[in-house]
Amino acid sequence: MNWWDFLLINPFTNVLLWIYDAIGHNFGVAIILFTILIRAVTWPLNGQQLKSTKVMQDLQNDKEWQDIQKKYAKDREKLAQEQMRIYQERGINPLASCLPTLVQFPIIIGLYQSITRALATTPLGLLQLARSIYPFLNTALLIPLNSKFLWMDLGRPEGIPFPGGFTISFLPYGFPTLALIVAFTTYLQTKLTMPAPSATNPSDQTAAMNSMMSIYMPLLLGYFALNFASGLAVYFITSNLLGIAQYAMMGRVNWRNLLPGGAQPAPSNKGK
Amino acid sequence: MKRIIPISIVLLGAILLSACATSSRGVSWPGLAVDTTNVYFADGASVFAIRLSDGSVAWKYPKNSVGSVFYSSPVVTSDGQVLVGSAGIDHALYSLDAATGNEKWPTPFKAATDHFIASPLVVNDTVYAPNNDGMLYVLKLATGQQLWALPVSHSLWGTPVSNGKFVFVTSLDHFLYAIDPESRKIAWKVDLGGAIPGSPAISPDGTTVYIGSFNSKVAALNAEDGAIRWTADTQGWVWGAPALEGDSVYVADINGNIYSLGVPNGKNPWPSIQPDGPITGSPLALGDGVLVATESGGVYTFDTNGGMLWPNGTQVGGKIYTTPVAAGDMILVAPLNTDFLLAALNRETGSIIWKFTGK
Repeated sequence: MNWWDFLLINPFTNVLLWIYDAIGHNFGVAIILFTILIRAVTWPLNGQQLKSTKVMQDLQNDKEWQDIQKKYAKDREKLAQEQMRIYQERGINPLASCLPTLVQFPIIIGLYQSITRALATTPLGLLQLARSIYPFLNTALLIPLNSKFLWMDLGRPEGIPFPGGFTISFLPYGFPTLALIVAFTTYLQTKLTMPAPSATNPSDQTAAMNSMMSIYMPLLLGYFALNFASGLAVYFITSNLLGIAQYAMMGRVNWRNLLPGGAQPAPSNKGK
Repeated sequence: MKRIIPISIVLLGAILLSACATSSRGVSWPGLAVDTTNVYFADGASVFAIRLSDGSVAWKYPKNSVGSVFYSSPVVTSDGQVLVGSAGIDHALYSLDAATGNEKWPTPFKAATDHFIASPLVVNDTVYAPNNDGMLYVLKLATGQQLWALPVSHSLWGTPVSNGKFVFVTSLDHFLYAIDPESRKIAWKVDLGGAIPGSPAISPDGTTVYIGSFNSKVAALNAEDGAIRWTADTQGWVWGAPALEGDSVYVADINGNIYSLGVPNGKNPWPSIQPDGPITGSPLALGDGVLVATESGGVYTFDTNGGMLWPNGTQVGGKIYTTPVAAGDMILVAPLNTDFLLAALNRETGSIIWKFTGK
């Protein structure tokens, strides 16, 4: 057994199976509850991300920060040195807002592998599952898992067949309802949680990065939902909705971002 | 600079998730069947006909990928067909000409909605093809035309067997089903307490069905009504079908144990025999004993008393998950995770005669 399996896949698989067993053998609900659990565990991390994003946003409106941007516009090395000085003086970690996103990737991959392992749609998969289950679970009774949830088979990519047997080569599973919902909820989450752009700093790097993320992330996660097991899409959708809920509870949802041209500039912070 | 972070995250995600994907060979479950001239080898995206004489390729199907992935053993029919089901997105059962590899049916059978992991059973001019969608599809051998279909249950992974009266089908749902082709209904079913990915075995007189399960038991049942005659405990899950020879029912488990159970009572007279690794394939009855292949890449033969026939067995290499087949004076095994796909062993000595590398 490798470390990846030992530290991530096997614990994830067993927690999923334990929830599945406890709630009466519904794997879709098990994934949703597992996502809530993951969100709860990473709640402090997401809270930290919110704070770090706010700090970085405020920095963009800071007079000293804007002054060095202008002063060293043509000397990138000096600009970087000055930026690092400000980070150090104010105890800011510029990568802190990225950390939770990076933490999400191993979780997504671990969850994807746990779902496919638990559903064991191939003989080799079934053998791997047999070796992953901890002794406290009654494996003989658990296998096979019920992979049906609503209209989906959670172990396979989702798609609603086109009428009349019509096929499209790049959509082999039919109309990708779930992938579209994933892309939409990801877009929604990114837009709603995006801070308003700076009124005084037209070259606000954080706003530019957020804007790009609102395009890249829905496409990326939508692509994953299109091509991987639909159980992963259930995770994405649940996670996105929980993310919006968490931001709303912390009073950080920016509903105006959803309106056309509605992203209002944040009020300027005139220096320290 | 401002584009670097989002692009990096996207690339990181793509790279990490792409690590989840593996080649069809990496998740394969190769299957073998033989006739007098060739071994038919289904593995990954291809079916090969390989000459028994020298291990060279007679033909390969398909020439271009059609979305097929083959996890089940091909079945060679008396009229020269090779039937093989696909576990790919095509959900198809193919009939190939054993001599040329060309498709024989007017069109492949594509009415199933999920993978074919089980091999089909051919009885006279009828094909019984269980599918992962829980259906047993019954087809006309000559054309592949569907005659009827029966919803049985959850995933059907085991090749059916017949005693002439019933067709016996196993399911991962823990049940063994006896299906009456006359009435096209389930005659009886028995819950064996654990998933059954393998096939049953039938006594020569057709009156007893032997079956192992993930309940770590082997059961002998009355073929007429499913009444249990005896059960025997094993140390691990039983995946492969039992093999019958004389008064013994040979069974292996995924803990790597081999058992020789008495036909009348299920008692195991052998000492504990555990060669070198888990066993998922069926034992292969040799006439004078039994052969097993292990996940550790070993092939071992035992006489009827449990003594080793080949000294120390043969280390073929890779991981052997599926059942070896006998062809004349050769034994054929298909390991994964090694630099060849198929090896032919000398039946008497265990020495390797040839290897097939896929080229």
